[in-house]
Amino acid sequence: MNGTTVSDMPFSSRRPTDSGRWIAPALVAFALLGWLASIWVFAAHDLAELPRYFAAGYLVLDPTSLLFVLVMNTVFLGISVYMLSRERGSPELTRDIRVRAALTVVFMLVLNIGVMSNHLILLWVLIEVSTSCAALMMVCGTFGTSKEIAWRYMLYSSMTLAITFLGFMCLTQSAHLRGIEISFHVDQLGAALTTARDGWQRLGLALILFGLGGKLGLAPLYSWLPETYEAAPTSTSALLAAVQFNISVVAMFRVLQVFQPYDSTFAAHELLVMGYVSLLVAAVQIMASRNYKRLIAYACISSSGVIALGLSVGKTAAYGVVLYIVSNAFVKSLLFITAGRLRAVYGTNEVAPLSGVIRVLPFAGLLFTGGIFALLGFPPFASFLAEMLILSGIVQAGNLMAFTLMCAMLTIIFVATGRTVFPMLWGEPKQQVPQVEESLVTMIPKLGFVGVLTMLGTYTPAPITDLLRAVALSIGGV
Amino acid sequence: MSLPLILYLAATVVPVFFSRVAAAPTWLSLQGLALCWIGLSGHEGLSAHAVLAGLEVLLVRALLVPWLLRRALGKSAQARKSLMPSNLFAWGAAITLTILAFRFGDGTGGNLRALTLGVIAAIVMIAFLILATNREPGAQLVALLFMENALMLFESLMPAPWPLPVHLGLSGVYVLTVIVGSWLVGGHTRHGHTTTSKENP
Repeated sequence: MNGTTVSDMPFSSRRPTDSGRWIAPALVAFALLGWLASIWVFAAHDLAELPRYFAAGYLVLDPTSLLFVLVMNTVFLGISVYMLSRERGSPELTRDIRVRAALTVVFMLVLNIGVMSNHLILLWVLIEVSTSCAALMMVCGTFGTSKEIAWRYMLYSSMTLAITFLGFMCLTQSAHLRGIEISFHVDQLGAALTTARDGWQRLGLALILFGLGGKLGLAPLYSWLPETYEAAPTSTSALLAAVQFNISVVAMFRVLQVFQPYDSTFAAHELLVMGYVSLLVAAVQIMASRNYKRLIAYACISSSGVIALGLSVGKTAAYGVVLYIVSNAFVKSLLFITAGRLRAVYGTNEVAPLSGVIRVLPFAGLLFTGGIFALLGFPPFASFLAEMLILSGIVQAGNLMAFTLMCAMLTIIFVATGRTVFPMLWGEPKQQVPQVEESLVTMIPKLGFVGVLTMLGTYTPAPITDLLRAVALSIGGV
Repeated sequence: MSLPLILYLAATVVPVFFSRVAAAPTWLSLQGLALCWIGLSGHEGLSAHAVLAGLEVLLVRALLVPWLLRRALGKSAQARKSLMPSNLFAWGAAITLTILAFRFGDGTGGNLRALTLGVIAAIVMIAFLILATNREPGAQLVALLFMENALMLFESLMPAPWPLPVHLGLSGVYVLTVIVGSWLVGGHTRHGHTTTSKENP
């Protein structure tokens, strides 16, 4: 325990136990069930018959919820298989597996209900609940002081969500002054909005986007993200970056869907500014980063920046944004779980001692390289196609300054990432580490993620394309 | 300004200037009582839904959460600290923010609704100020709870209480905040430095 006292240990599980061997397989079974259910829902519903409301109108199955349920459950299946593969080799994970599995199940249930929520306040509540679960999951498998980071994560999330709630309050005030009764059901909120310039309405929209932007890791409220993703156990980082991120995206989409006919220009300007500042922050921080997990975290901020820019343009970029978000979920999962493998072998998150990874962990090294290429938007991965569509959308919108700035920032990020990561992967080894055997179970989720990324970038089956297009249309795509 | 609203404002602003973290549960109880009173008197007609919502506010916000917080703070060192640092700058900023918040709410004409908006804005601003000026996790948790109570006050601006699922959800978030927050904050007091995950599975 290296100086850690028993009282420092997380939760009550203080000894490895053999009776909990069934938990990780059960978690995989739960994930598999969730995935199969999402596939069944996708296969059973024609897009033309959506949206379908249920639970007294509080939940909705529409293209947006369908897409994100599918993506989140697919990613979660991969992460759960990864947890299974790592459980036996990690005493800490074995010790905490009960609590972690229980929290993960609650986390996934909350997120699945959240993406289907048809009520903005209920969605807000579910994001808060998922944040509390995630804060607890962060502390699993870690000792004492990561509670501090988990607390800061929770604090930041609550603050950004409070800002969003203030936005709801301003919308209520706007409707009240016009003598209209407001409902926060997504399908009814539009009736309380106006196309006229309304100060309260604009303030509300600004606060909502600002708060949700903070949950997405957009500047200026991004500072929770790097330290959280770095400090959390790998599987939790992957769940935060690839699954919880998506519920905030859904919340952002819901707001844009509602405001599309009313005040889309104002929202576009705010997203444009937040997107650029995020890209700028990410570029500077990636240049300075010497820690591969933190580097991935900053890359997540740059991805959020690209998403915000794409959303601000809308129209032809919208399809690219949706594809980018889907592809990002798989890229982030791939990178975080591969980074977890590196961390398990080398025992550090620092780049410096890791020279020549490809010789020690050929498979993980190759996949990490693939993940980095996907992250940087190289073909044949979906992120390449998505970035091209977003850039083309920006050009078609006539915003050449935006195009130039985005290209410049992405180039800086590419060079800075390559300068840090490629010597780590391909350089001369600085220390003798014997080649490590990698089990098939460890490889399956990573190969699955690479497969999905390549498929989305080369050949996307028609039903998936239709679904992506339907979501793009709902957020102002053409 | 109505009596419960004055009580609510006093129960939030007074501790910020004069109270220690240890006394926060009592002030939270007072806030809960005032919120219940506002809820019962604010909406048109006293429906079963409004009574149920009021009772729930009373149980959760005036009793359960203050009790949980009192247990969590116990006799820890941070309970003896001031909620907001006692210095002229912090006091000046708090007073200025309160005045500005009421000016913000007043844009609608000075009626009860405008004052309620002013109170919500003032409390959220002050909570942000505590978070900005106090690094003690215990005080930060109290600020967060003050802020979540202020958001609950927003319900009184609606023509009817929130639908029950939403209402229960908001209370659930409040309870979760105090449970998870207390546990995380409790861990802080025993540790001084930051480390990252040791297992990263």
